[in-house]
Amino acid sequence: MDKFFEIIFTTDFAFSIFRVTTPILFAALGALISNRAGIVNIGLEGIMLTSALTGVLISAYTGSALAGLLGAMLGGMLISAILALFTLELKTDIILGGIAINAFASGGTVFLLYVLTGEKGTSSTLASKMLPDLHIPLIERVPYLGPIVSGQHVLTYLSILAALGVYFLLNRTPLGLRIRAVGENPKAAQSVGIRVKQIQYIALVLSGLFASLGGAFMSMGYLSLFTRDMTAGRGWIALAAESMGRGTAVGTTLTSFLFGFAQALANALQLLKIPSELISTVPYITTVLGLVIYSYRQARKLRKGR
Amino acid sequence: MKKMLALIVVLAFVLSACSKSNSGGEASSSSSPASNPSASASANGTGTSAKPLKVVLLIPGNLGDKSFLDSANRGLEMIKSQLGAETKVIEMGTDQTKWQPIYEDVANQNWDVIIGGNTTSAEYFYAVAKEHPDKKFIDFDTEFTEIPSNVYAMSYKINDATFLAGAAAAMVSTSSIPRADPKKIIGFIGGLDVPGINNFLVGYIEGAKYVVPDIKVITSYAGTFTDPAKGKELALVQYNAGADVIFGAAGGTGLGIFDAAKEKSKYAVGVDSDQAAIINDTDPDKANLIITSAMKNVDNSILAAVKKFQEGTLPFGKVETMGFSEGGVGIAKNDIYNKLMTDDMQAKMKEIEDKLAGGEIKVSDAMGMQTSEVEAIRNSVKP
Repeated sequence: MDKFFEIIFTTDFAFSIFRVTTPILFAALGALISNRAGIVNIGLEGIMLTSALTGVLISAYTGSALAGLLGAMLGGMLISAILALFTLELKTDIILGGIAINAFASGGTVFLLYVLTGEKGTSSTLASKMLPDLHIPLIERVPYLGPIVSGQHVLTYLSILAALGVYFLLNRTPLGLRIRAVGENPKAAQSVGIRVKQIQYIALVLSGLFASLGGAFMSMGYLSLFTRDMTAGRGWIALAAESMGRGTAVGTTLTSFLFGFAQALANALQLLKIPSELISTVPYITTVLGLVIYSYRQARKLRKGR
Repeated sequence: MKKMLALIVVLAFVLSACSKSNSGGEASSSSSPASNPSASASANGTGTSAKPLKVVLLIPGNLGDKSFLDSANRGLEMIKSQLGAETKVIEMGTDQTKWQPIYEDVANQNWDVIIGGNTTSAEYFYAVAKEHPDKKFIDFDTEFTEIPSNVYAMSYKINDATFLAGAAAAMVSTSSIPRADPKKIIGFIGGLDVPGINNFLVGYIEGAKYVVPDIKVITSYAGTFTDPAKGKELALVQYNAGADVIFGAAGGTGLGIFDAAKEKSKYAVGVDSDQAAIINDTDPDKANLIITSAMKNVDNSILAAVKKFQEGTLPFGKVETMGFSEGGVGIAKNDIYNKLMTDDMQAKMKEIEDKLAGGEIKVSDAMGMQTSEVEAIRNSVKP
C-alpha cells in the first residue's frame, strides 16, 4: 500500500494526467459543441485520425510543425464540413454519416500513407516535425507545482484554454445561445428567426476543429509519428466524457480529466504486483463510481428540493 | 428506429463488401476458375517440373507492421529473386471471418506452394489443407504440434532471441556507458498477458538474470497492439521508476517506447525485425537508443523451406523448431549495437550465443506453462 501512494503522489504521475487527458479533452469539447447544437458527432474518432495523418504529412513535406498543425486543423474542419453537408443538406442520418467517416478515416489514412510513402503501418520513414513543449519561466521553479504545470506540451495548455473558450462561447456569447437554442428545440429557434442549418454547420465545423487538435496532439506531440488507427478509441471515450459531463463545459472538462486520471492510474499501477487484468478495469470502475456519486448527489438534491 | 436499424445493416453489408474487395482483391482477381477444384488440381500435377515454381504468401493481417509480416514478405521477395519463382502476396486483412474463404480460393488455384502463418489463422489454414491433400502448404509460424501431412510448419523459439535481448539489456543497465544508471532495473512492455507474449517475457527475464542474477524487471501490459501513445505512457512510467532499458513485444503499441526513450534519453530494445535500421534514416537520435532487436528471421527460414521444397527434401507433416542454433532467431547486430556495446560486452554476448547454440543454455518455454508459473516468474523479479 505504501508503494501505491509512493506512485500516486509524484509529480511524474500528476504530470502524466494532463498528457493523457489532452486528446480526450479536445475531442470531448468537439462532442460538446455539436451535441449542444443537436447533432451527435460520432465521427470524432475518424476526424482525429485524419488530422493526425494530415499533420504528419504536411509537417514532413513543408518542414514546419506549425504548417502541419494548420493542415491538421483544416483537414479536421474539412472532414466535418463534409459530414455536415451530408447530414444537413442531403439529409443522411448523422449516425450513419459518422460511421462512414470513421470507416473512411481508418482505411483512407492507410491508403494515403501507402500512396505517398509506400508504407502501410507507420509514417516512420517520414521526417515529420513535432510541436514543442512549453516551459513557463517563473512557475517552472516553484517546487512541486513547477514540474507538474510547466513543461507540458503546447497543445496541452491549448486544450485547457479551449475548455475555457468553449465555456465562454456556450454561456456568454450570442452564438452560444443560438447553438443551445437550436439543440434544445430547432423549431422554436427557427420561429424566432435563427437560421438553424447555419448554426448547425458552424457547430459541426467547430466540433471538427477541436477533434483535429486532439488528432494533431496524437501524432505531433504525444508521439512523433502516425501509425494505423493510432487514436485507439479516444474519440469514443470523448463521447462518453461529454455525456457523463451532462453536456456542460465544466462537466465535460472534469470528466475528461477523470478519464485521464483513471488511465494514468492504470498505467502507473502496473509497477505493483497486481494482475494486469484487474488493472485494466480501473478506468471502467472509475467511470461507474463517478456515475454513482453523481446520481446519488442528484437524487439528494431532488429530495431536498421537495 | 426500425428504419435506422435497416440502414445500419445495409451499410454494414456495403462496407464489408468494400473492404473485402480491398483486402482480398488480389485473391479474387484470379480466383474465377476457383469453382472447379479438380481442373486446377490436375493442372498442378502436370505442371510442377517444367514451369517456374508458383508460390503464394497469405498474410493474416496487413503488411506494413515493420516486423513479422513484412519479414515474411521479404522472404517471398527473396524466393522470387533467388529461385526465379512466380510469386504473389495476398493481404487478408484483420477480419478473421474472411480468412477461411480466401484460403479456400487460393487452395483451389494453381499454386505449387501455399505459405501462410500465425497462430490465430492456423485452424482455418489446416482445415483447408486437409480438404486439399494434393496441395502443399507451409506454415511459417505455428504453435501446434500436430499438423496435416501436407503441411510443413515452423515454430520459432523466440525465447532464445529474447534471452539474448535480456542479457544485452541487463549488461547495458549495469554498465557504465552513458545514460545507463547504476540501478539494476530494466523493463518489459507486452501487448497482452497471453502465452505468446509471455514467451518473450520469460526468455527476457532468464537472459537478464543469467548476466545479473539480482536484476529487477518491471513488466507492463498495454492490453492493445495498436496504441503507441499507451506504449509511450507505460514506458515513461517504467523509465521514471528507474528502468534504463525497455524491451517491448507489443506490435504498434511498442513504437511508442522509442519515443519515450528519446524523451527520457534512455535505451530500448526492438522486436521482430531490426527496428533501429528502419528509423535510422529519419530519426537517427531515436535509432541510436535502440541497443538491438530480438528477431525472428522469418525471411530466411521461408526461403530455406521453399528451397528444400524445390529439392524435394522438405519434411511435410512435421513441425520444425527454429531456435538460435538453427538460425531461426537472433538479435540485430548493427552499427548502433557495435557502437554502444563495449568490446567486453560484445565478447560476453558472443560467449552466451555460443552456449545457446551448443545447448549449454536452455531457455524455458512459456507456451506450455501454467498462468501461475508465469506470474511467479514475473513477480519474482518485480522491484
